[in-house]
Amino acid sequence: MLKETHKAEIDDILSRYPVKRSALLPLLYLAQREQGYITEAAMQEIAGLLKLTPPQVYETATFYTMLNLKPVGKFHLQVCKSLMCALVGSDTVIGWISAKLGIKPGETTPDRLFTLSIVECLAACGTGPMMQVNDDYYERLTEEKLDRILADLRQTGTCSLKTGPFMWPEPAPAKPGA
Amino acid sequence: MPDQKPETVRLTIDGTTVAVPKGTLVIEAARRVGVMIPHFCYHPKLKPDANCRMCLVEVEKMPKLQTACSTPVAEGMAVRTATTTVDDAHKSVLEFILANHPLDCPVCDQGGKCDLQDFSHQYTPTTSRFTETKRIFQKEYFSPLIETQMNRCVQCLRCVRYCDEIMDVKALAPVGRGTMTEIKHFGPHELDCEFCGGCIQICPVGAITSRLSMYEYRPWMLKRADTICTFCGDGCRITVQTKGNELIEVNSAHGAGRNNGDLCARGFFGFHASSDADRLTHPLIRREGKLVEATWEDALEYVAEQALRLKLAHSADAFGGLITSRCTNEDLYVFQKFMRQVIGTNRIDSSARYGHLNGVQALRRVQGTHRWTIAFEDIVAANALLLVGTNITETSPITGLKVKEAVKKRQASLVTMEALQPAIDTLSNITNLALQHFPTHPAQFGNTVLGLTKAVIEGNLVDATLAQQAPAFVQRLTSALQGISWENLEAVTGQTRTQWTETAKILAGANRLVILVGNGVLRHPGGDATVTNLLDLLILLGKLDKPGCGLGPLAEENNDQGAVEMGAVAEFFPGPAPLDDQPVRDRIATVWREELPRTPGASLTEMLAAANKGSLKALFVVGENPVGTLPAEAQAAEALGKLDLLVCQELFLTETAAMAHVVLPACSYMEKDGTFTNSEGHVQGVRQAINPVGDSRPDWEMFSALSVLMGSPLEYGDAREILKEIRTVIPGYGLLGPTPTPPKVDQAVLSGYLTQGFAGDAATRYAVSQPRQTGDGSFTLMFVQTLFHSGKLSTHSKGLLQLQQEGFLSINPEDAARLDLADGGQVKVSNSRGAITTTVKIRERVPAGLLWFPEHFDGEAKQLAEWTIDPRTQIPYFKLAHVSLAKVS
Repeated sequence: MLKETHKAEIDDILSRYPVKRSALLPLLYLAQREQGYITEAAMQEIAGLLKLTPPQVYETATFYTMLNLKPVGKFHLQVCKSLMCALVGSDTVIGWISAKLGIKPGETTPDRLFTLSIVECLAACGTGPMMQVNDDYYERLTEEKLDRILADLRQTGTCSLKTGPFMWPEPAPAKPGA
Repeated sequence: MPDQKPETVRLTIDGTTVAVPKGTLVIEAARRVGVMIPHFCYHPKLKPDANCRMCLVEVEKMPKLQTACSTPVAEGMAVRTATTTVDDAHKSVLEFILANHPLDCPVCDQGGKCDLQDFSHQYTPTTSRFTETKRIFQKEYFSPLIETQMNRCVQCLRCVRYCDEIMDVKALAPVGRGTMTEIKHFGPHELDCEFCGGCIQICPVGAITSRLSMYEYRPWMLKRADTICTFCGDGCRITVQTKGNELIEVNSAHGAGRNNGDLCARGFFGFHASSDADRLTHPLIRREGKLVEATWEDALEYVAEQALRLKLAHSADAFGGLITSRCTNEDLYVFQKFMRQVIGTNRIDSSARYGHLNGVQALRRVQGTHRWTIAFEDIVAANALLLVGTNITETSPITGLKVKEAVKKRQASLVTMEALQPAIDTLSNITNLALQHFPTHPAQFGNTVLGLTKAVIEGNLVDATLAQQAPAFVQRLTSALQGISWENLEAVTGQTRTQWTETAKILAGANRLVILVGNGVLRHPGGDATVTNLLDLLILLGKLDKPGCGLGPLAEENNDQGAVEMGAVAEFFPGPAPLDDQPVRDRIATVWREELPRTPGASLTEMLAAANKGSLKALFVVGENPVGTLPAEAQAAEALGKLDLLVCQELFLTETAAMAHVVLPACSYMEKDGTFTNSEGHVQGVRQAINPVGDSRPDWEMFSALSVLMGSPLEYGDAREILKEIRTVIPGYGLLGPTPTPPKVDQAVLSGYLTQGFAGDAATRYAVSQPRQTGDGSFTLMFVQTLFHSGKLSTHSKGLLQLQQEGFLSINPEDAARLDLADGGQVKVSNSRGAITTTVKIRERVPAGLLWFPEHFDGEAKQLAEWTIDPRTQIPYFKLAHVSLAKVS
């Protein structure tokens, strides 16, 4: 139960909103962070915390592509398929990933390393085609870049080609020597 | 009922000028001038959502088309609904919707009453530019009574919005996004909700349909009958649809009846009770100890002969009569006339005795009316509402919707005193909407009301003029309440002084205050006193006779109010007028051309006692089942076993009917004409929907036939003639109209009450009642009405049985954890009277220390109940027990 393991954090989230229901997305994120996806039990618990019915939580959880309702692999490849990326070849990118990993959108590799999802606009329209892997952005994708990303992720768990996560306002640059 | 006239706005629609109240939506203004703007997502009950885009219209000076359903009118606005641009827009919206809608109209239950079909026809699209494959959802099992076919969905979200805004249940969710949005419950779980059927009724297409009538009909095959539901005191208008003589479905029209088109599970899915295979179809006579089929002639002659013999051998008062308030006013009237005129006794009673009389007696005593002085419209328009012991969602669901509307749409302040606690689950819970909620033990309603009255007096909230007009009343109450300490009240009720004080301010500050009292008070010891004290509270606040203010006791059965008004109870003649009211006695005698009996009446329990002693020899029982209803302590079976003549008019062979000498098959509400009078005192027409089942006959007809055989005929051609006679006995009765005209407080009675009427029992009414010490277990078991059933009649309805088919014990999660009880596990419930084993259901809404058991399945369980009789109103109380629990492994 989240309430037992994350009491302080939940209280903090709840304290931020005058209307309880507004805490729904942050709590769903918390649940996803803990289990990798949002379980039915978590939705029921969150419904209880916010005085909502489980269908109301389910409605929100199914609307956002960022919220996973099934377990995902260690690396969640989320390829933007909205208009701008589609114009510069997101379909091709999806095709590459499918071919290289042997999974269709919505599927996970048998070694549970990669899950491929197709998502709505990720607000990087100037640098498409692009995808988000877990919290990191990879932009202006080409087949070579993709090969390298997949190889690096497999070996080191990260890749230097990443360009995110973005924050706004940008965090102050780290002071030299600090 | 708004107090001041709303501002009006003038606009033109397609060149026609119309004046409508400010704030009206263009789509509604258009409807006024006969222009129907096509729409899917708009519904007058719901907040505008403007998601379907079908209602686009041209508004002069606005650059783009506007959605008529979300655009409020403005002065001088010129709207065009029939231009080429508008028509093109409608066509393209339809084309988009039809891109995914399957062409399965031939197998769709909505076919013939489908908005999409109608609009498609109107806009005649013959080709579509969409060549892509249509969206396909996997077919999933949705629920036992409600079927979904999501491929047909136009995503207007009316069902979701209805479930949230009107019902407050929130059981439906639009899942996913965009085209792939589908209506679901929660994950793969099947729907678990109030099953009001609202989503079925509000769906503009065939996406949500009823499984009870699936593939059974086309709308044009059905015959319709507008009638009144029989499952509670709300008196909802229903339209019964039949094919041949078969009941197909029940629905309701927006704007029709006191329910304004809303229904509950009982109304929508409960109609099959009338066509159950167990219905009695032939008269039965007991021969050699066994009930055998007989002809009507034999059965009636037997009854008449025996009745005449017994009347001769004993006296008229050796007879008694008992009738259910599910009967029509016409049945009730002829029943009491038969008993009073043909037999010659006042020993009659009805199921209004089980609690409703507590409310009626208090109203008569304090304000001189036997009806509410308010109507449903006043509930909706109230500023503050106080609910005492109602559990309104489960007992009177449609009155509950009026309360929800007042709170959710009109921001009324809701105060609840309920044996219920706020919780989110599959049914809506009125305490979730409360500004102040007093979780009240079922034996503590009286004391909790005392606290509120004390807070009103001590907070100086007593109406200033009252103190001058009725100083004795105010002083008496003040001194009595000063004698009760806050500590004492807090200790027995578990409430806090602060909450009472806050609540008193809310109630005093409301211009329109409505109090609703339910079975939790009316059917429990002290019910009479608590209702009287609540009326005192209204008097103290100066609100008893203010417009929009008043107290309404909620009737459990559809015609409890009618039973009292028809005089089908021991203490009243039709009117109702007490037996010693000479002018009424004379008036009735003139109409009947016969003297009315002068001997006193006898209530249900008095009749049973008399039968037990042997002084009551014959009993006519109409639709009542004392053996099946009352606990063993009432000794109903023993009493009835001693009778020389027991005649039962019944739909089913109940426990009581099984003991009868003669059983006569009666028509249900679906098979007869007449009128019902609902909780608020509104008389409404009941119309025959199907032919009588088997050889059954309306109850009044049987009495009429018996009276002929017994030599003092009461002959009527049809129910209408009876109503005509009722109107000569009770002038103006039941002038059928769309809304009731509630009576006003009788000032003479009120001032009589304020000068001395209150004093007789003030000492007992204004004293803290101590909980009964029974020595039994620490849990209080309540026999409650549930949303899915009404009495035992609904247990013959196949639809409702799918929602609930047996008894179970509802328990608070903490209590369950303490006793290591799991949901669905078995538990032994016992006290000194007996023990039962039943299934546990853990429900957060049940307060700790309380247990609920549905009274509809109380067979074995009712032996646990405590039995007391109200000394003033003769109400038998048997809905509470003190028990212990033990886990059964």
